[in-house]
Amino acid sequence: MHEPEWLAPASLEEALALKAERTDATVVAGGTFVGILVNQHLLAPTAFLSLGGIRGLRFVAEHEGELRLGALATHRAVELSPLVREKWPALARAFSLVASPRVRNRATVGGVLGDADYASDPPSMFVALGARVVVQSRHGAREIPAEELIVGYYETSLAPDELIVEVIVPGGPHRAAYRKFRTRSHEDRPSVGVAACARDGGLRVVVGAVAGRPQYFPELCTGEPASIAQAYAEAIDPIGDISGSSEYRRRVIAVEVRRALEEIAA
Amino acid sequence: MKLRVRINGADHELEARTDESILDVVRRELGLLSVRETCGIGVCGACTVLLDGEPVSGCLLLAPLADGREITTVEGLGGDDPVQQAFSDAHAFQCGYCTPGMILTAKRLLEETPQLTEDDVRAAMSGNLCRCGSYVKIVEAVLQAANA
Ligand SMILES: Cc1cc2nc3c(=O)[nH]c(=O)nc-3n(C[C@H](O)[C@H](O)[C@H](O)COP(=O)(O)OP(=O)(O)OC[C@H]3O[C@@H](n4cnc5c(N)ncnc54)[C@H](O)[C@@H]3O)c2cc1C
Ligand code: FES
Ligand code: FES
Repeated sequence: MHEPEWLAPASLEEALALKAERTDATVVAGGTFVGILVNQHLLAPTAFLSLGGIRGLRFVAEHEGELRLGALATHRAVELSPLVREKWPALARAFSLVASPRVRNRATVGGVLGDADYASDPPSMFVALGARVVVQSRHGAREIPAEELIVGYYETSLAPDELIVEVIVPGGPHRAAYRKFRTRSHEDRPSVGVAACARDGGLRVVVGAVAGRPQYFPELCTGEPASIAQAYAEAIDPIGDISGSSEYRRRVIAVEVRRALEEIAA
Repeated sequence: MKLRVRINGADHELEARTDESILDVVRRELGLLSVRETCGIGVCGACTVLLDGEPVSGCLLLAPLADGREITTVEGLGGDDPVQQAFSDAHAFQCGYCTPGMILTAKRLLEETPQLTEDDVRAAMSGNLCRCGSYVKIVEAVLQAANA
């Protein structure tokens, strides 16, 4: 079998040029998602475009009151960052609940958004916190609200020549919670994930792992915890898979949304 | 491709394909058979290696991602390592298949968190599966090593 080319740019500029020219190349960051596909012979690309050599995209930093996460920051770096733990504790928690330390040591912020896997934790938390995703091509950068990045099962709104370069999370006073409901073991993917964030009187409730993209209904985000929870359970048409049937997930949504809202009210 | 990687303290230049895992490379090129494939999807931890000191799944790590870096397998610990000793003293295995991955994960945990509770151990080791169900003894061994 032909051996795939390994493209390893040392700078973002070089990576963006390659991204535009080599439409055949599969982007690799931590490689935990791509690694499975290759290992299981589900993917045999002609080339890999490895982002690992790009310096300066691993940052976890505060800038003008907002949190900025470089696309190559690992889950572990976000989870353990004293800054994130202090000012965005629910985000640190959502990252800490992904898989095992072994996976979190490799998995990146850009990767967990880029793979657009429905059974993920951090994307829903990003949406609840009102995060923006900065994406860039040779022609410049643009910001996408987190809720517009993942558009369906394993599908993003990225243009073919774009890369995710960072995620910006608003700061300021807020109360947020992340609840992960698993049906198998501790390190498993979520059956239902609930992220909620209240700030300035506004509430954002997002349910993950139940449909092609994080489920957010601004019009349902007012009222008592139990009634919001019920409204979410009715509005979502949950997927059925090995982590739970559709009907089972609907019940879990009603319970976990209420609990998340009680948590942030407490 | 030629893979330049430091493994268990020695520099190597190994033959590898860009689409194979470091697990396959270290087994084939160096005979490091403590690195074992079971699930091949990152879940079980039998293929754990330390990459620059951090546990990762060898089955998921595309070989070129290890280029220029340092890999440690249980063979590199030498046998008289305190964690290895604690696993042996506590009889923390039956068939031993999961043991290398358990030991490497525990090693990093002990470096990171000197004051360990049983809950810390269970949480940190939750991604390493033992088909023989030796978990009680494994937790005991890690706590023993922590207090040694
Ligand atoms: C055993 C196991 C358990 C898991 N459990 C969970 C869980 O409980 N919760 C959870 O949320 N997730 C879970 N995951 C998923 C894990 O979080 C993702 O595999 C990981 O985040 C992907 O990041 P990566 O850097 O390794 O991505 P890669 O594998 O390198 O890339 C993933 C995808 O994103 C694209 N991509 C990567 N970076 C960029 C970028 N900067 N710009 C554009 N596209 C990019 C790649 O082309 C590829 O399609 C689990 C994974 C494993 C292996
Ligand atoms: S074989 Fe790699 S984690 Fe199971
Ligand atoms: S001792 Fe047999 S798998 Fe753990």
